[in-house]
Formats: sequence, C-alpha cells, structure tokens
Amino acid sequence: MAWKGVFRRDREQRGRRSALRLVAASAAQTSAAIFLVLRRMRAPLIVLIVIFAVTVLGLTLIPGQDAQGRPWRMGFFDAFYVMSYTATTIGFGEIPYPFTYGQRMWVTVSIYLTVIGWAYAIGSLLALLQDRGFRRAVAAQHFTRKVSRLREPFLLIAGFGQTGELLGRSIDALGRRFVVLDVSDERIDGLELDSYYADVPGLAADARIPGNLDAAGLAHPSLEAVAALTDDEEVNLAVVMAAALLRPDVPVVARVTTRTLAERMQAFGSPSMVNPFDRFGDHLRLALKAPASYQLLTWLESGPGGELPARGLPPRDGRWVVFGYGRLGQEVTRDLRAEGLDVTVVEPHPQSEPDVDLVVGDGSDPWVMAQVDLDRAVGFVAGTDNDTTNLSLVAAARRANPSLFIVARQNRPASAPLFAAMEIDALLVPAEVVAHEVYAQLSTPLLWRFLREMPAQGDAWAAELTDRLTRLCGQQLQALWKVRLTPAEGPSLRAWLDSGDARLGQLLRNPENRDEPLHAVVLVVSRDGQVILAPDDDFVLAEGDELLLAGWAAARRALGTILFVDAVREYVVTGRRVPSSWIWRKLSRASEPGGR
Amino acid sequence: MNLEKVVFGFFVVLAATLNFGFFIGDLQNPALHNKYELFAAVVVNLIATVLKFGDRTQIGAVHLATSLVADLQLIAATLALGFAAYISTDGLTPAATASIVSLSGGALLANVVSVVLLVVETVSFHRG
Repeated sequence: MAWKGVFRRDREQRGRRSALRLVAASAAQTSAAIFLVLRRMRAPLIVLIVIFAVTVLGLTLIPGQDAQGRPWRMGFFDAFYVMSYTATTIGFGEIPYPFTYGQRMWVTVSIYLTVIGWAYAIGSLLALLQDRGFRRAVAAQHFTRKVSRLREPFLLIAGFGQTGELLGRSIDALGRRFVVLDVSDERIDGLELDSYYADVPGLAADARIPGNLDAAGLAHPSLEAVAALTDDEEVNLAVVMAAALLRPDVPVVARVTTRTLAERMQAFGSPSMVNPFDRFGDHLRLALKAPASYQLLTWLESGPGGELPARGLPPRDGRWVVFGYGRLGQEVTRDLRAEGLDVTVVEPHPQSEPDVDLVVGDGSDPWVMAQVDLDRAVGFVAGTDNDTTNLSLVAAARRANPSLFIVARQNRPASAPLFAAMEIDALLVPAEVVAHEVYAQLSTPLLWRFLREMPAQGDAWAAELTDRLTRLCGQQLQALWKVRLTPAEGPSLRAWLDSGDARLGQLLRNPENRDEPLHAVVLVVSRDGQVILAPDDDFVLAEGDELLLAGWAAARRALGTILFVDAVREYVVTGRRVPSSWIWRKLSRASEPGGR
Repeated sequence: MNLEKVVFGFFVVLAATLNFGFFIGDLQNPALHNKYELFAAVVVNLIATVLKFGDRTQIGAVHLATSLVADLQLIAATLALGFAAYISTDGLTPAATASIVSLSGGALLANVVSVVLLVVETVSFHRG
C-alpha cells in the first residue's frame, strides 16, 4: 500500500513537472510575435535613422542667413524640427528665416530621401502585418491568453470536423465551455461565424504538438476532459498520449476505427474509445433485439432539442445481405451472426477470407445481384465507403425486394438529403455516432450510466419509459439536468427528506397548480454509488441523492424554485399555502394555535 | 568571419567611443564639448539599439536594455542642451554644461557595460 502511494506521488510529480516545462516552452513561443516584428523592422528603422541623421547634419552645416542678411547657421534643434515636419509631409515652410539656395537644394534632396525612408518603413510594417506567419503568431498569442483566462470548467476538442462540431453544439447547448484545436484554418474561421452561446476559443494548429495542446489548456486547472476526434488516427493517438502523460487526472475520449490503434491507445492509461462501426454494430443488435430500448437510447444520446426517432421494426429472423466487407461490414456481420442470423457478404476485393457466405463481385453487376438472391432475404446493408455506390445499391435492392429492411452508411454530410429521400430504415453516419456517444459520456456521468444499464431492463420497460417521457414532455427532449438533494442545492427539502416519507411523486408537481404534474421525468437516482433507473412516483427520496431529470426547460426552473423556496415546497408537497414573508408567517402562526 | 557580427561590434564600440569623446574634458567648459559629437553619439546609439532588436537570448536582452538606457541619457542630454541654447535666458552657463555632460557620462557608463557584454560574449564563444 505504502509503495503504491510512493509510486503514485512520484508519478504525479513527474506529470506536474513536465506540465510546467510545457508552460514555459509555450510562453516563449507566443512572445515570438513581438520578436518577429522587432527583427524584421531592424533594416527599415536603421535606414530611417541614417536618413534623418544625414539630412539634419547637412542642414546644420550648410550656411544660411538671418533676416538682416548676416551669415547664420541652423542649430540642431531647428534642423531637426524642419526635417521632422518636412519628412512627415506636414511642411510648415522655411523656419526661422527664409532659406538660402544652398539650404533649399539640400532640403530638396532631403525630402526625397526621407519619403523613401518612410515609405520603406511603413511598407515593411504593413507587409509584416499581412504576413501569414506573423498573423498566425498573433492568433496563437490571442488564443493562449483567452484560454488561460477561462475560469469555468471546459472541454478540449482536438479535431473540429463534422463530429467535433456536433459535439460542440450539444456541449454549448448544455451551457458548458469548450476549446477547439484543428489543423484547418477554414474550420477555425467558421467558429467565429457560427452562433454559439459562449465564446469558443479556437486555434488552427497541429494537435500532435504538445505545445499546441498546452496552449489549448492541457495544463489548465479547469480542464474537464479531452476529446480527440480528428479524422487521422495517428493524431488521435498523439493527443491521447500527451493527455495521459501530462494530465493523468483528466478523462480522455478518442475516436478510433481500427482495432490495432485501439490497442495502442489502451497502453496509455485507459482512455475511453469510441469506434463508430463497432458502436453501430452494437446499436443494430440492440435494434434487432429491443427496438424500444434502441429508440430511447438514440433519443437520449441526440442531445438537447433532439426529436423522438421513429421506432424501427427490423426483421428478427431471416437472411441478411451485406455489401462491402470493410470495417463496417465486418462489425455488422459479426453482430448479426451473434444474433443467430444468416449473412451473405458481397465484396469486390476481399482482403481476408471471412468465415461467412461470401460472394466476390461488384454490387452493380446484375449477375451478383441475382446470385445473392435478394427476393428471399429480409435485411440489406449497403456499407461501402462510397455514398454513390451505397445509394445505387439501395435503389437496386429496393427494386428487387421492396420489403427489405435497409441499413446504409452515409460517409459525407453533403449526401444527407439524398439518404433522407431514400427513407433508409437504419442509417449510419459515423460522425453522428461518435458525437452522440462522446456527448453521452461527457455531458453527465449519470446519463452514461443510465445508457449502459438501460438495455438490461428489457424492451417493455424501455417502451413504458418512452411513453412516460412523451406523455409528459412531448416529442422533443428539451433539457437534461442533474439535481443533488443536499442542503446547499436544495435548502427547502431538509425537513421533508428527514420525515422519511419523501415520495418522488409529491415533489414533481407544478408549483402554480399542484394538480398538474411537472413536465419532467427522473431517469436515474444515484445513491451511494448505486443507481436506480427511472424510479416511479412512490420512490422514497433521501438526503444526498443525485437525480438526473429530462423534461421542459420551464420544469427545470420550476424545480429550482421548489428546491429553494420553503413556501413553494410546502404547497407542492402538502397543498397548504404558506405565507412566505416573515410577518405573515408570524401572524398565521399566532392565529393557528395548533400550527407548526 | 560573420559580417553581421562585424557591423554589430562596430556600432556598439563606435557608440561608446563617440560618447566618451563628448564626455571627456572639463565638465563646465562648453568649448570642450562639441555638439556635433553629441549628435553623432545619439545617432550611432540609436542604430546600435535597433541592431539589438529581436535577439531572444538572455545576453541579447541585457544588451538591448543597456542600449535603451544610453539612448535615454543621451536624448536627455540633447534636450538639456536645447533648453539651455534656445529657451533659457541665461544661455549655455557652466551649470547647464555640467548637467549636459554628466548626463552623457551616465550614457557612457551604459555603453561601457554594453562593450563589456560584447567582450564577454566574444570570449565565451568557443568554436568547437
């Protein structure tokens, strides 16, 4: 035990030390912008100084005359004054006495010289401001400052493609902050144009470089979690590595699509990994086994504002045909076979010999279509990585057998309207699967526990809960929030909870009229590490319980009032109208001798 | 031989020597302190300062700092000279001269530090 403690301390210290070193390195990096300006401005500034020196010196040396025609030499102050207003094209005239011809000649030369000097200096400065490297340095500095000033918990998203954007929107809708790192300038510029509730700092930089991750707040004390969602698996691995080594205390979620990379990531702490194909296979299995559970899962994962998806009715037995034996095809085939279904696979270029019924050939070939015998199949999967191929496969399959259950994979967001028009029964959009999964993991730990334990409750249970949710809150999921029944978060509940008969159904009433229910459903109650899924109205609450609720935003505000105002709680629970001001309470207590 | 180092060393030393030339001589006697020499010292010091811009090393930072001090002192000296020559009714009195020259003396000290730094940098440079 003691040894373990020593090792842990050592590890923590190491983490802290390397994080400190990283901070110093990135601070030096960001001050580079100023040094760049200074270094590039050296030559123009020296030219300007030399031109000024030569012209001022010349003016003091060239003989002039005063108003009475006596010989006179200009002093340094006069000369500098004359050159200053001449060089800046202000031109006050010949001061203090009219110039002689010698002086005029010299001033003529000086005018041209100083104009060249200024043009060179200002031109260099403007060119520098336009310079890509300089602007990048300034942007990096700005970003670092913004991130270091964040005082609330935030999420670091590396990779802001389709997945990152979906996740960012959900996180933003929850009222939480996030910081973005992406290689593409366009996506970062897009951040400013998009409307988010909170300001989103973004930097166009390579997430593989630990210095950039640090600028994005990897060493920041308020960092909550890191999400590595780039398209490049190597980059995701690099982010997981950096986060595990420098911030072992922060949870990491990463997108992976291959098993080899998942294993390499596993070596660094235990990041939670999301494989869209694997998850889709699991979802498909759940959809086959328990359509209602699947419906509830996809609804809750879709984030704030999600519409209730339609409940599909996939065929429970029969033969399936899978086109494309890539990453998706393999996962789906494995999951379907695990459900005891027959699968026929069609693949033009098989990489490995699968132990399933395989037809080698192109899906667009009529002979292949005839070979797989679609008439007698029940399900069809178009799982290639080409949207056009998938769409044409779906069209061909529909023509062969209109009653087929169709599963298709959409690769590019631009194809979304086409797939929507096709009315696919189960559509896989890898970016959405990852975004929803990461959202479920990072939004609240309770939601994640609910989603993991929910399938075990069975299909009928899920159908009933979905019914309750739609009855109370409608087809749209407005808000998902957490309440902790502690004296700090629910000061008005204390006496009621202590009574030992604090039933959930009494609390969730409308504070305006307690005959109406509050438009919210408790999904989970967590007590001492144990979770109770979807408790009913007779459930007895206790102090310290953590509740996850889904419902209207108005219900969230109403519940907040119930938790804080004694009079409202009293009315909601017992139906008694209790005066809320001090003087009326005194008066009513006096008039009601048996009162509390 | 590095041309950049030659130019850099040249200006640093020239700034110090010009400054010294102006400073040397009786503190109160204006005839011993040439204003053209002060002008040259200001210009060369400004150039030396700009040459030190953008060096990110520790010694580079101290170099820049000494140069900025020298600039400040010399510009103060020229302002004092301008005040005495153009604005003050007494003209260039021994007291005014003394203050101008002593300001340039402060700049000289900063320039000496600069030269010492240059020497230290050169001596501590090993070629393999």
